[in-house]
Amino acid sequence: MFQQKLPAILIAKELFVPMKQSFVSLLFFGSIVSALIATQPEKSTDTDGSKTPVVSAAQIEFFENKVRPVLVKNCFRCHGENEKSIKGGLRLTSREGILKGGDTSPAIVLGNPEKSLLVKAIRYKDTNTAMPPKQKLTDTEIAALTKWVEIGAPWPGSDSNAVAKSSKSAGYDWEKFRREHWSFKPITPIDPPEVKNTKWAKGNIDRFVMARLEAAKMMPNPSAEKHILIRRAYLDLIGIPPTPEQVKAYINDAKPDSLARIVDELLRSKHYGERWARHWLDVARYSDGLGGFLDAADLPNAWRYRDWVVQSLNEDMPYNEFVIRQIAGDVRKPEADAVATGFFAVGPTYISDGGDPEATLQAQAETLADRVDTFSRAFLGLTVACARCHDHKFDPITTKDYYAIAGVFKNTAISEISLASKEGIEAQKANEEKVKLAQQALRQFTKSLQDPEKKEKPKFTQEEQKRIDQLKQEVEIAKKTAPPKAPGIHVLKESGNADMHVALKGDLSKKGDLAPRKFLQIIAGVDAKQFTEGSGRRELAESVVQTNNPLTARVIVNRVWEWHFGEALVRTPGNFGTLGEKPTHPELLDWLAARFMANGWSLKWLHREIMLSATWQMSSSYDATKFANDGDNRLLWRMNPRKLEVENWRDSLLAVTGELDRTIGGAPIEKILESNRRSLYARISRSGDRFESDAFFRTFDFPAAQATADSRTTTIVPQQYLFMMNNPFMINRGIALAKSLETLESNEVRIRTAYEKLFSRQPEDREIQAGLAFVKDHPENWPKYAQVLLSTHEFLQMQ
Amino acid sequence: MKFQQHQKEYQNAMFRDISRREALRKMGAGLGGIGLASMLSEKNAGAASSTFESRGPHFAPKAKRIIQLFMPGGPSQVDTFDYKPMLAKHAGERPGLVDRKSLRNTKMGLMPSPFGFKQYGQCGKWVSDIFPETAQCVDDICFVHSMHTDIPEHAGAILMTNLGALQPNRPSMGSWLVYGLGAETNNLPGFVAMSPVAKPRGNVANWGNSFLPGAYAGSYVNIREMKSDAILRDLGKPSSLSSEQRKQADLLSQLNKMHLDRRQQDQQLEAAIASMEMAFRMQMSVPEVFDISKESKATRDLYGDSEFAKGCLISRRLIENGVRVVQISHSISGYDIAWDTGHENIVNGHAELAKACDRGIAALLKDLKCRGLLEDTLVLWGGEFGRAPTSEGAKGRDHDHYGYTVWMAGGGVKGGFSYGATDEFGLSAVENRVHVHDLHATILHLMGLDHEKLTYRYSGRDYRLTDVHGQVIKELFA
Repeated sequence: MFQQKLPAILIAKELFVPMKQSFVSLLFFGSIVSALIATQPEKSTDTDGSKTPVVSAAQIEFFENKVRPVLVKNCFRCHGENEKSIKGGLRLTSREGILKGGDTSPAIVLGNPEKSLLVKAIRYKDTNTAMPPKQKLTDTEIAALTKWVEIGAPWPGSDSNAVAKSSKSAGYDWEKFRREHWSFKPITPIDPPEVKNTKWAKGNIDRFVMARLEAAKMMPNPSAEKHILIRRAYLDLIGIPPTPEQVKAYINDAKPDSLARIVDELLRSKHYGERWARHWLDVARYSDGLGGFLDAADLPNAWRYRDWVVQSLNEDMPYNEFVIRQIAGDVRKPEADAVATGFFAVGPTYISDGGDPEATLQAQAETLADRVDTFSRAFLGLTVACARCHDHKFDPITTKDYYAIAGVFKNTAISEISLASKEGIEAQKANEEKVKLAQQALRQFTKSLQDPEKKEKPKFTQEEQKRIDQLKQEVEIAKKTAPPKAPGIHVLKESGNADMHVALKGDLSKKGDLAPRKFLQIIAGVDAKQFTEGSGRRELAESVVQTNNPLTARVIVNRVWEWHFGEALVRTPGNFGTLGEKPTHPELLDWLAARFMANGWSLKWLHREIMLSATWQMSSSYDATKFANDGDNRLLWRMNPRKLEVENWRDSLLAVTGELDRTIGGAPIEKILESNRRSLYARISRSGDRFESDAFFRTFDFPAAQATADSRTTTIVPQQYLFMMNNPFMINRGIALAKSLETLESNEVRIRTAYEKLFSRQPEDREIQAGLAFVKDHPENWPKYAQVLLSTHEFLQMQ
Repeated sequence: MKFQQHQKEYQNAMFRDISRREALRKMGAGLGGIGLASMLSEKNAGAASSTFESRGPHFAPKAKRIIQLFMPGGPSQVDTFDYKPMLAKHAGERPGLVDRKSLRNTKMGLMPSPFGFKQYGQCGKWVSDIFPETAQCVDDICFVHSMHTDIPEHAGAILMTNLGALQPNRPSMGSWLVYGLGAETNNLPGFVAMSPVAKPRGNVANWGNSFLPGAYAGSYVNIREMKSDAILRDLGKPSSLSSEQRKQADLLSQLNKMHLDRRQQDQQLEAAIASMEMAFRMQMSVPEVFDISKESKATRDLYGDSEFAKGCLISRRLIENGVRVVQISHSISGYDIAWDTGHENIVNGHAELAKACDRGIAALLKDLKCRGLLEDTLVLWGGEFGRAPTSEGAKGRDHDHYGYTVWMAGGGVKGGFSYGATDEFGLSAVENRVHVHDLHATILHLMGLDHEKLTYRYSGRDYRLTDVHGQVIKELFA
């Protein structure tokens, strides 16, 4: 099998010498590993095996991926796991054990598979010695073990103590990572650079941007026109466009702080929290539950977490506090802050459907993986979940790190805080007691009829049967008289205080080393303090927002930048590891992160700083030369033109027709397309297929709520236009817009007003003519014309 | 550190890492259709030029499209295509070979198949009497008798079959294929999933896109209802496709083009103009392809009038029109795991289910062959696991994930060929074992894709349909 992969071998050989991670990512681990084994056959000469040969990194990879799992899965049960039941005296759990062999002779001859008993056994040639006894290994597995013997049975570290161990730490050079990978370096406040063009820059952000552009001999776009700018500000901060009056007032306001006043006003708006909560809910993979048949729970109270996010943002809760509460709010202030832990509590919780133990463990492992993945990508921009089965291939994250964090969540349960009154709770308890007693009576009675000597069920007499039925009925009645369930809050709660073991190859039934709960070694050091309080969530939360943690502030500043510009400074906002992108403006990112912390982790400070920069106010116009130089706009020569998110597009449709219901908060609405509430309040199923609104949102790039979403994809597909052409929601908006214009004196005035409402601008003459041609002499065409205007790309675009 | 110095150190690394993959992810467009995809990339003269260059097969495909006849619930191998005469000889016995660890109810003696078996075709394949029509096609079929999977529970095993994972958080095989290959149509979805009555357990997961861009999701159609709106949401009713709507479409185009004049160049806007036109056309083409009344009487007679057969006929029309992947899940009632009727009684349930799909399957194979489509269309038949040769109760069989049968036809596989084997009683795959991951790797290979290269960057790693597993079974190739 190894010979077949020749092309991969050649590539991998070239690449591995100076390890260029960005390219390696294009290859596959399997190929790389086999390649290295083939190109570096570090054959051992110590045939007695007394000395453990040096094991190369490639060999470790090969061993951990292809060999150890086979041994663990198929051999350890009888050959090593349990000292009392070692078969044939053979221990396969260490290199020493294998070389010593069992009752017969050494299990392998190094470098010579043909003479090795182990290889003969797994080839199933002789039925007396065929191993494993129940089932032959697969050809791949046999080939891997054979190869392993052939190359001298490399076994990393010393595993002489005959228990299955997790893969050893791949020996990361921690200091090198901290020294050389940008995101692990401390945040260094670099002073804003001097620039030649001093006129354009309004603030410090601009000087960082200008310096890069000047170095590339490029100029930034001029400021956007005022009507575009105000529309941009409204859509960006509150998700609905300004009214024509607001546009007019701004255009006529010649004072230098005119935009600053609008930004401040919008930041004070309660709708700011609604718009920006939705950004965070993408990160929180928020849904109302209903993830499908293995994660089917309905979460009818998830919206309380959603409302908490809205409120926290409106109050400008410091981001560090915002983080702590979402991880450990229940631990710090059970009454007040537990709702914030909905961040985790409304996530997927997988189950298995048949009680098969493997499936059950797998479901548990998958749930923990969600917690670790969401935690690490959302707050730290690290893909810790990659270390679930093996040490991270590219970032300094070990399986121990993974299970240290997973352990925190293993000791955490999902709970519901009842919002019932005191009397309500008591009534509930009383009822539960009643049900319990009735069930007890039934059990006792049936038990009394059972002859303990006999196994089969007794035949009941008519009277006995009657009594049983009566008791059954009493149970049912007790259940039926339960008081209505009071609303609650989905929260986390502490459930234990025990470390997990590393799960070998991600399999929870295969225990490796103990992984004490503590923070990631790359940040907190290999000797990081262990978590001791309960699950350790409070300590975990505090580790995240320690100011010497270089990731947290950078990650959120970068996300906020993305939500303002459509592209982030680090274009992989959930991956600051070596396979993520590097920042386009690293100094700016650090400057912002440092200032952000110095300003009390205030998100509203950050919005203001960004929006009052010349950079944010640039026009999004096309420029052929600049586009040819930097089509991806990595140097920030313009604002990125972009599509509105589906929620804001829908909200804007309702806003311009005058129909939007601006009520804030509350239980979700299942049929959002029949409602005038903002899209934030739609009921969302995690599976994305439960409700009509799911289908609508998914058609317009709403992210799958199964995992934290870094950034949304933008697709433009025909289904979106089918919606615009035919869906009753669009037809009704057309009718409503037409109706709102009806009383105006002429077709031309109506058209002008529509343009002002929808696009914050006056129509061009040809646009008026096109409209007139459609509605002139046909007033009944007005709703259709209005529907077309609402379907234009300009309406769903942020310029 | 000073800005300039920091910049200098940093500059070199900057543009080296521009991730084409990232660009591709963000730009995912088109109805899984190559047409729009290439349209989007045309004008993208910036750093990430030809965004979709990595799309398309890795090597010459043997199959250009696939029709999956999915049999959820676990059809019994020893009562269908895996003939085990030894069962009759050892009826009621319990040889050590079948004494395997299982939570399932497989602790009783061997139960012979209640159905007769006959030999068919030049290859002399033994097939159960409940599949007399499919049996006529054995010389075109490649049987894999040595399938095995991870767990004997429906939910996880169904996901394993269609997603290659035990939990519903991965893209379906169909969406991987459309992501990798696009479709040969701009007027139809690239991946259509159908079922006669009930959706298979797991619903959308079986044709979902999970973390792949939405354009690669399968569209689900209930064969019985056949509402055009179910085929594609918001498909206009034919009456509304009047000149009125054409006028609206024209005006929208006109206004968008005026906006484009102002913007000079705007990739998304150009895609919007094209998408709108495509949407308008789809309103005609979609109902047409699902309208089987357009078929000749001879063809309709060949298929018969079962719901499943209707699905088979629609499948042929879909793939003829450029759809890449079709999945039909069998069902005859509201039960989402149809073949799981075997617990108490194999005879009734299996006979009824086979009857409901047998003729449609045979008709599809014959029809494809006669139109020259079978050569490059892969047909896949099978469930998520099989059933044990031992009895559950008096007449039933419980789940068996240690060994089961699937078969393929056309699309580059050997006809009249049987690969791998279960033990003499049919419980465990023992010879040339094939895991679901191996089957996936093999299917991808037949479709021109290297399962190790078809990846998508998500959550910090490159995901594959086959995760870190899978071996292509080349022995199956013609």
